[in-house]
Amino acid sequence: MAFLLRQVARTGFQRNLILMRHATASTSANPELSVQVSESCLKRLREICVDGSFLRVTVEGGGCSGFQYKFDLDKQLNEDDRQFGEGEAKVVIDTVSLEYCSGATVDYHSELIRAGFRMVANPLAEQGCSCGSSFSIKL
Amino acid sequence: VKGRKLIPTRAALTLTPAAVLRIKTLLQDKPDMVGLKVGVRQRGCNGLSYTLDYASQKADKLDEEVVQDGVKVFIDKKAQLSLLGTEMDFVESKLSSEFVFNNPNIKGTCGCGESFSM
Repeated sequence: MAFLLRQVARTGFQRNLILMRHATASTSANPELSVQVSESCLKRLREICVDGSFLRVTVEGGGCSGFQYKFDLDKQLNEDDRQFGEGEAKVVIDTVSLEYCSGATVDYHSELIRAGFRMVANPLAEQGCSCGSSFSIKL
Repeated sequence: VKGRKLIPTRAALTLTPAAVLRIKTLLQDKPDMVGLKVGVRQRGCNGLSYTLDYASQKADKLDEEVVQDGVKVFIDKKAQLSLLGTEMDFVESKLSSEFVFNNPNIKGTCGCGESFSM
């Protein structure tokens, strides 16, 4: 975390700095941070996670609104990971990413033109890109 | 008229085999629908985005009708210019499945690929 702080300070990205300070103040492994997993997401995960893999959600810089969600299937569980969901249907988010999407819901939406995972109702995000993959942080 | 070359008419929209297969399976569940309708809507951070709906009939006589490999796709009359020459593909993975439009007319897209500009 200290390294991240230094790096962020070096770039002089003021908004991020405030956010990171806030995050360290509330301790990096805050048990209150969590995400919800919707029923449709659990259903889809039960279909695709039969070999012990899980859905990894990460938040990274990029996209047209500053931050974007990334969805992966992973089998490697790291130390700073938090797990959500039930049974085979697991959603894993590392603590740093979780600070940016706490309170959100992981959803699998399917409509005619596309079906895929997405994050909805992130209380920390302001209206981002129309596709929902990119967002900006509320200050 | 002599000497005039016959130019084969090209379909306004081409479908890849994956898209044809997907549309066929979609329409199996909806026996009262004859095809899909592709349109363009003003939306997204780059101006325009595609829309896709079931079509039970040719809604407007100016809509373009594309028939390929037994599936019917209608193109909204307002979207014909922006869609001309587009290849419609269906990409499926464990994480997502979506129709992808490879459009030669567009200038740029949003990072997620959902919206585009011309």
